[in-house]
This record gives sequence, C-alpha cells and structure tokens, in this order.
Amino acid sequence: MGDFLQLVRNENMKIYRRPRTWVMMSILLGLVLVISILWLSFGDRNSTSMWEVVFIEASVLFLLVTIFTVVIAAGVVAEEFTTGTIKLLLIRPWSRSKILLSKYIAVMMFAILLAVELFVSTIAVNWLAFGIHADPEAALSFPVPTGGTPVSYLLQYYALTLVSLVVTVTLAFMLSTIFRSGGLAIGLSLFLLLGVNSFVALIAMLDYQWIDYLLFIHLNLTQYLDGNPMREGMTLGYSLGVLAVYYILFIAVTWYVFNKRDVAA
Amino acid sequence: MTQPIVKMVNVTKRIGKRTIIDKLSLDLPLGEVFGFLGPNGSGKTTTIRMMVGLMSLSEGEIYISGHSITKDYEKAIRYVGAIVENPEMYKYLSGYDNLIHYARMIPGITEHRVNEVVKLVGLEGRIYDKVKTYSLGMRQRLGVAQAILHKPQLLILDEPTNGLDPAGIRELRDYLRLLSKEEGIAVFVSSHLLSEMELMCDRVAIIQNGKLIDVRTIRGSFEAGTVSSRVLIEVDSPQGAAQALQAAGYSAALEGGQLIAVETDREGTASVNAALVAAGIKVYGIRTHVKSLEDQFLEVTGGERIG
Ligand SMILES: Nc1ncnc2c1ncn2[C@@H]1O[C@H](COP(=O)(O)OP(=O)(O)OP(=O)(O)O)[C@@H](O)[C@H]1O
Ligand SMILES: [Mg+2]
Repeated sequence: MGDFLQLVRNENMKIYRRPRTWVMMSILLGLVLVISILWLSFGDRNSTSMWEVVFIEASVLFLLVTIFTVVIAAGVVAEEFTTGTIKLLLIRPWSRSKILLSKYIAVMMFAILLAVELFVSTIAVNWLAFGIHADPEAALSFPVPTGGTPVSYLLQYYALTLVSLVVTVTLAFMLSTIFRSGGLAIGLSLFLLLGVNSFVALIAMLDYQWIDYLLFIHLNLTQYLDGNPMREGMTLGYSLGVLAVYYILFIAVTWYVFNKRDVAA
Repeated sequence: MTQPIVKMVNVTKRIGKRTIIDKLSLDLPLGEVFGFLGPNGSGKTTTIRMMVGLMSLSEGEIYISGHSITKDYEKAIRYVGAIVENPEMYKYLSGYDNLIHYARMIPGITEHRVNEVVKLVGLEGRIYDKVKTYSLGMRQRLGVAQAILHKPQLLILDEPTNGLDPAGIRELRDYLRLLSKEEGIAVFVSSHLLSEMELMCDRVAIIQNGKLIDVRTIRGSFEAGTVSSRVLIEVDSPQGAAQALQAAGYSAALEGGQLIAVETDREGTASVNAALVAAGIKVYGIRTHVKSLEDQFLEVTGGERIG
C-alpha cells in the first residue's frame, strides 16, 4: 500500500504550481486592502470600529472565496479529462475512489486556505487601519448577541458560511466529474449560486411545502445568526439536516460516476 | 513455458449496439516484444484501454500476472507501465515534476531512479523545462520515461514511435529489445506501421474489425526452425535440380535463370542441399526469403485498410 498523503501532495502541486491560483489569492488580499483604504479615505477613522469593516469585508469577500474555490473544484477533475492526463493518472496502483478523494481533499484545503487568508488579512489590515487608535465605544451596526464578543460572532459567521461553501463546492466538484468540462461546471455552479440566490427571497415567500427541501433556501445559514430565518419555523438544525442530505447525495453521485465511467477519448 | 504475464480471455467490448472488440483471446509471455498490428479503427487502442483498466470489459477477463484487472485492479496494474495514445502530461509542470508526480504514486521510487530514467530517454538537457515547451518527440520520450519508472513487468505502448525522429525510433527499438531480452519483461506495442513492427517485434498479432485474425512469428523464427519460408537456390542446371528434388519429396519451382525455389524450413534447407549435391548438381548459392510482414499483413487483411 502506498502513502495516500503523497496523492494529496500531488494534487496540491497541481493547484499551487499554476499562476491562476496565486492570482486568486492576490485578488482576495488586494480587495481587502482596497476596501479598507477607501474606507480610511472617505470615512471617519476615529468613530469607526475595526470590526465594522471586518464584517463588511468578510460578508462581501466570502462570496469571492466561494467563487474561487468553485473554479478550482470545477477544474480539478474536468481538466484531467480535457487535457487527457487522466489516463496516466489512473493507471497507477490506486483505486479511482482514492484518487478522487485526494482531489477532493486538496480542494477543501484550498477553501480553508482562502478562508484563513480572508480572516487573517481582514483582521490584520483593519487593526492597523482602524483598531490601534479606535475609540473603544465605537458603535457597531450589527447586533452582537449579548455576552458575545465581535470575535466569537465572526467565528460563528465563518463556521456557518464554510458549511455552505463546502456544499456549494461539492456541487461544483460533482458537476465537474459528471460533465468533464470545467467551464460547464463553473458556469452551472455559479449560476445556481448567484442566479438562484437572488430569487431565493422571492421563492421563500411562496407557501408550498416542497420549498422547505430546496437546497438554496438553506445555503445562507447566517440568517440564523440574526435570528430571522427566511421561512417561518425553519431552524438551524433543520437547515443543516437538509444540507447534509444534499451533501451525501452529491458525494455519492460523484464517486459513483467517477468509478463507473469508461475513460475514452 | 512460464506463466504468461498477460492472459486475455474472450475479451469483448460493446459500446451501444456496436461490438468494438469481439472475443479476443491472447497470451503474452515474458521476454518478448509483442506487436499489435491493425488498420486504423480496428480496436488496438480500445484493447489497450481495457488492459490498463481505463475501460470496462463487456465480457471476458484480463489477467496480469494472475490478477484480474477488473476485480483486483490495484494488484494487477502494479506490473504495468503504459502509454495510451498520446502521452499527455501536465503542461504547466516541468518534465521532472511530472515524473516526480508519478513516482510519488508508487512506493519505492527514489530520486536516483528518476534521474536514471531521465538519462535513459535522453532528456537530461530539458527535463527542468515546462512540458508545454517540449516537442512531440520529447513528450513521447517523457511518456516512455513515466512508463518505465517503476520497472514494470509489462510495458504497453500505443504507437510509441509516433513523433519520434529516425534516431529516436532506432533508440526506442533497441531499448525495447534490450528490456525484453536482458530484463525479461514483456513489451506490447501497437502500431499500423508494418515495417517498424517487423524490426522490433518477436511476434505480431493482427487485429481487424475488433477480431484477432492471426498471430505471426517474426524474429528469428526461420532460424529457430519453426516456420517454413521460400528458399531460393542457384544451381547450374535448374531442370535437373527440380527433378532431383521431386524425387527427394520436395516440390521445387523454376524461377528463371539459374534459380529454383523451394518452400521449406531451416532443417529442410540442409536436406535440400544434400539431395542436390547427391544428385551431382552444383549449388552456387542458397538464399532464404522470409516474407515481409507487410506482405503477410496485406495478405490476411485483404489489403483493406479502414475496417
Ligand atoms: N468511445 C467510443 N464510442 C464509440 N465507439 C468508439 C469509441 N472509442 C472507439 N470507438 C470505435 O472503436 C473502434 C476501434 O477504435 P480504436 O481507437 O481502438 O482503434 P485503433 O485500432 O486504435 O485505431 P488507430 O490506428 O486509428 O489508433 C473504432 O471503430 C472506433 O470508432
Ligand atoms: Mg489507436
């Protein structure tokens, strides 16, 4: 038996040796800087809490983290097929399932890396920009639950958004495996993510039972942080349950298709 | 004979309603360069895809060193190094990193071995360059490098000379023969270039429309005395020689001039010579004419190219 970590190492090499990966990471950092600098230039430095800016940036840029990870996830399987490298990759003493797992793990590691980059850079940049001289009484425009600190609130926010990210990225990974086309997988996942998300508030108002089972109603978990769920009676536990069912379904389909299909052309 | 390294039993592949490979059975022994010859679209690549587990079998079974490729893939594939069609590699990585990538997937491949293989395929000068800057022949060499990295017992190469220059073809040919004779491994090479197969293979299987039509021995077969071939003999009196051979139980044909032709094997050639000398015929020269593979190929496929 070989060493499975070597497979993950290979997948990481294939992700981080490509310029586009570093472009994505630079864009993320660049946008954090740009937003903070703009705020510094046009806002009032002394009456702004650094947490205010951290939250704005986190909520806007986490979408970018998701998009970038979807792009990587969509490519990681499909590109092996479109370039033909899949043939030489598969004819090694490893089951297809394990090769696919190494890819999935590498994608998830990339997602976590981007999330950590966002977390660390927003806090560091805004502490430098606003935090050092800030008035400790500076008001926040979002409700931190009583007894909680901004940091604990932020961590909860990240945890919930990461759950949605994992489901979205797994969807992209599945589409990448089924269609073997990175473009199609990126397009479809982002369409579902952005397009459907903008209708989600409308759909949520409809009074049908089946809407409770739609994936997209549950992808925005941060609705529970502020305590006003989109649909009457929905709880965090219920949403996590629905997402878990979708997640298992996506994983099952992905592995089934990857194991079953002939590698031709 | 030792156990064959590859055993294909009734291998059949159907896609939709079409039968692409039809009940193909073939055994490959160790120590031989085995050619797989067929016109375009005859099913060579499809067979190879099934041998390395990229495609499922509709029927039949393939065993590599006794392990079923469908049921015991990880064990079976351990013995195999392969190029399937074009050797596509990661273009954004260097040749060296590509090899490291495959080396990591099999335990026990040292950096020393990687460097050794790089030297062997003659890529030392460019191995740290990105693969996207490689020429077709250089990619082919890198493909061979990844296939032999783990010293496989069975080397499967789908049209390996595609894109190689004459020197490269010659090197590859010599290297494959060396591998099979010195290291005793089995080499399975597909091609539709007949002349090339003739030079590098010990035996050749001919496939057409997904069916195995024939297996022919090429190399050293006449010397080994296993096949008969046309023997041309130059004598002083063709007429007399023909009569003398008739009497000795050989049928001889007059070839014009001083030549007669006899179909016989190696031992037969000596007896024919003895019979002629005994009959007082002067023998000036004996030449064996082994039919070229091209002749045989066109003969069995009826000259038809695309199935
Ligand atoms: N994925 C597929 N779906 C349907 N038919 C296919 C598929 N792949 C191959 N075929 C058919 O199977 C037959 C054999 O194809 P294959 O690629 O094995 O031929 P080949 O002997 O390698 O030919 P060449 O010398 O051109 O490389 C062809 O008729 C081809 O059209
Ligand atoms: Mg082919």
